[in-house]
Amino acid sequence: MAARVLSRDVRQAPRGWAAFATIVSLIYFFPVLWIILTAFKTHNDALAVPPKWLFTPTLENFIAVFSRVMTYQGAAANTGFDLFFFNSIFIAMTSVAVALVLGTVAAYGFSRYPLKGNDTYLFIILTTRMLPPIVVIIPIFVMFREAGLSGTYVGIILLYTAFNLPFTIWMMKSFFDELSREVEDAARMDGSSEIKVFFKICLPQVIPGLAATAVFGLILTWNEYLFALLLTGVETRTVPVAMGQTIGGAIGVRWGLLAAIETLFLVPVVLVTFLLQNQLLRGVTFGTIRR
Amino acid sequence: MVAVAPGIRTRRRFLSLSWSNWPLALVAAVVVVALAVWLLPADSAFWVSLAAVCVVAFSAVAYVYSRRLNGALLVAPAVALLLVMNIFPLLWSLGLSFFHYRASSIQPPSWLGLGNFAKVLTSPDVWDRLRTTGLIMVLTVGCQLVVGFLLALLFEKRFVGRRVLLTLVLTPMMLSYVAVGAFFRYYYDPTFGLLSQFVRTFTGEPFLLLNTPWGARAGIIFADAWMWSPFVMLLVLAGLVSVPSYLYEAAEIDRASWWRKFRTITLPYIRGLLLLALLFRTIEAFKLFDVVFLINEGGPGTSNETIALYIYRQSFQYNKTSYATALTYIVLFVVVVLTNLYLYGVNRRARETA
Amino acid sequence: MAVSEIQLVRVTKRFPGGLVAVDNVDLTVGSGEVMCLLGPSGCGKTTTLRMVAGLEWATSGDILIAGKRVNHLQARDRNVAMTFQFYALYPSLTVAENLAYPLHADRLSRGEIAERIRRVAAVLELGGILERRPHELGEGEKQRVAVGRSIVRSPTCFLFDEPLSRLDIQLRQTMRTQIKEILEQLDKPTVIVTHDQIEALTMADRIAVMRDGRLEQVATPHDLFAHPANLFVAGFIGTPQMNLLEAVLIGTEGGAANGQATGRFRLLGAEIIATVEARVGSLARESPVTLGIRPRSFELVDPAASGALPAKVDIIEPMGAEVLAHLVEGDVDLRCVMPHTTRIALGEAVGLRCKPGQLHVFGADGRLVQ
Repeated sequence: MAARVLSRDVRQAPRGWAAFATIVSLIYFFPVLWIILTAFKTHNDALAVPPKWLFTPTLENFIAVFSRVMTYQGAAANTGFDLFFFNSIFIAMTSVAVALVLGTVAAYGFSRYPLKGNDTYLFIILTTRMLPPIVVIIPIFVMFREAGLSGTYVGIILLYTAFNLPFTIWMMKSFFDELSREVEDAARMDGSSEIKVFFKICLPQVIPGLAATAVFGLILTWNEYLFALLLTGVETRTVPVAMGQTIGGAIGVRWGLLAAIETLFLVPVVLVTFLLQNQLLRGVTFGTIRR
Repeated sequence: MVAVAPGIRTRRRFLSLSWSNWPLALVAAVVVVALAVWLLPADSAFWVSLAAVCVVAFSAVAYVYSRRLNGALLVAPAVALLLVMNIFPLLWSLGLSFFHYRASSIQPPSWLGLGNFAKVLTSPDVWDRLRTTGLIMVLTVGCQLVVGFLLALLFEKRFVGRRVLLTLVLTPMMLSYVAVGAFFRYYYDPTFGLLSQFVRTFTGEPFLLLNTPWGARAGIIFADAWMWSPFVMLLVLAGLVSVPSYLYEAAEIDRASWWRKFRTITLPYIRGLLLLALLFRTIEAFKLFDVVFLINEGGPGTSNETIALYIYRQSFQYNKTSYATALTYIVLFVVVVLTNLYLYGVNRRARETA
Repeated sequence: MAVSEIQLVRVTKRFPGGLVAVDNVDLTVGSGEVMCLLGPSGCGKTTTLRMVAGLEWATSGDILIAGKRVNHLQARDRNVAMTFQFYALYPSLTVAENLAYPLHADRLSRGEIAERIRRVAAVLELGGILERRPHELGEGEKQRVAVGRSIVRSPTCFLFDEPLSRLDIQLRQTMRTQIKEILEQLDKPTVIVTHDQIEALTMADRIAVMRDGRLEQVATPHDLFAHPANLFVAGFIGTPQMNLLEAVLIGTEGGAANGQATGRFRLLGAEIIATVEARVGSLARESPVTLGIRPRSFELVDPAASGALPAKVDIIEPMGAEVLAHLVEGDVDLRCVMPHTTRIALGEAVGLRCKPGQLHVFGADGRLVQ
């Protein structure tokens, strides 16, 4: 008399789906997997023909990322990659943070105090997001050089902040638009100042939006290459640029080293994405989906 | 400066000299910029223009402050940054494209009117690059849409380990272009590359991919589509997930077939999103630079040089600065048109599924 | 076995995680009968409905439709029609296409489909909106389309999940009558889930009151009102709510000739006398009971009259043709409804007596003594 206990949920996948999905996902993930594996191989193993699946893993590449043994002297020289990693993290986080602050405030302004021609302003803002970087590269290059911002932290952070702003404003505005005004009105009637309303009532409710925007901003600035190539100097170089230089070396590419760099570089982004998956879904649709 | 109660419009005279008279500042700025460009060398003209823009911005802020327009005040810092970093360079580029200017020479720019644009539009090289870009674009976006859609179908339902597997599939998007370019070059390498070795088990010969235009094209398209299909997947997935369960339940009760359910319930929800994905990825594909450059530098030769790569080379290798900027403006125009379509699609979707 | 009938035999639903949503429910809905599942939120009524529809599996027990055991059948194979609480109209299709949707599975000809749509549209007054899409419709229109989609078919039974909950009061009244007429014509077993007792009392042939997954009572609206089986049902049915007062039975007198006796109770310090069921006499003396008196079952007498309950008028709420008075005695609040012509004043001391035959006595176990 007993029937299945499973709930008859239309969203539940049929049996065996997990296995199928695992196979497909692993195939898709394979190129990345190979990079990670290569990071643990010696240089010879990496270039082995036919490709080696089983090998003794080594950490020499990871160590080599941060220090290179000079062939003449025995002392290990710093490759500077710890600086580059620091630069990437610092620049990305700072620009995302500043963009969040400025952008959220601006989004609040657009949402709560709509001006005439609001839509036009927002459209223009979005267009700047769509710009091919090529269009602005020359004037910005000139600007930075003349202002002495070339190769400084301030310069590149300002630029990346300007990159992240349009998206931040759009996302956060859509989140603010969705809030119900009743709670705010109640607080205003209770005598709260506008600032208090913003911080105590509106802001806590849009935290998922902040998370999504932060993730996207991070992904965007983390891997950015073109502007970093032209506008960072020796001290402020980010990892992608440094990677590019590693490739351009005369010796030929040291694949293990490159793989190690990329693997390390991948970790923070993947971590953040894994943790904030749900927010990512929303962010990608620019908030047009109502949950 | 007289403090004005919010909302009350006083009649300002156009010529009154006060910080909050932004129309006056704007007019003055235009005049100053025109004079500077005409009379001063390029560098100084640049800075004078920037200063003029700042003055206009400042007067706008003062205006807003005096009228207590709260909203504008909140918006101001962000807009200011965008103005300086995005809008101003954009306008400067536009201005520059009307002149003949090379960044390498010390000669000041000379007026060329629409000369640059004419040169651009009649250059066979440009059209060739545009054709190449269009070709690659269509193919890669097409692949992305198909693969992304299939992946979304895969991840729609709940199953054990979905979260982990989803993250795995999202990683290609998060790789740095440098890594993708370099490693795919490695994969395509005839001696060491995995692709070649795989083919070699069947044919016994090393497989050369990147030395023919179409081979290189395939390599680029594969790498790019692989990287960005997860993005399309996310968009479609968001749509699939947003379909209310009760619609599927009602269709069950109404005894609809699988295909019917898909056509009448699922497809309308994701149609808008697929369009969004199409437009977004098209705009991005138009800007395609990194992957092309890093896999094969747009080779062999220039057969796969996308428009963005072409512009880059013209600006930085050949120093044909203003020529390049004219071209970028044409590209920009196309992008703006596409963005308009994109926004239209977004709005329509918001209305339809309200 | 009747031609079409819904039977639930010891049906239980346990969700993974341990929650028992439906607990051993036995129910039969006869052919042509309208059965309402009534109860507070979370009582398991919607889950029961979904099990009949095939949208949930039963953990144990049998579900039979038209004599056939359907536990293992999918929703599509049971040929049931369901109207959802949120209407579940297909957003990309027009009203006409929505109505036609279930008919495709029957492989009817185009002409037949058009004819059926025309008939349904006439009954539910959907003629003018057949070409519109759901997002262009008003709430009431959407609801009618949802109902229309159900009745355009020839299913074995009809299921409704809170059909009127999203309508305003005016629309609700109109739709209640309309749906009732339609159901009478269709003559198939129907189950309606609702939390609104007015809906249940007006539309149902029988009502099944549920709480925490269990059936409390299954009876006609009249029986539910006149003879509530336990305290829960008594307090749930009827507005304003029945007065439930704790008292002690002193004793009963009188013969069982007409099934009635005279009961004496100690209530709130006073001794009151009322006509009760003869069965009350079977209870031991001094046993604690609960007395149930509906607000309209009171009559006002002199406070000093013997057998009456003295109380003071606390609040008077005019309700048009009637007046709702709150009276207090001790710390107990009594609700009393009387015609608006009754003369009472705030603070006045009055005496209350229960009209004959309208006193419900509930034993210590909460069940009605009858």
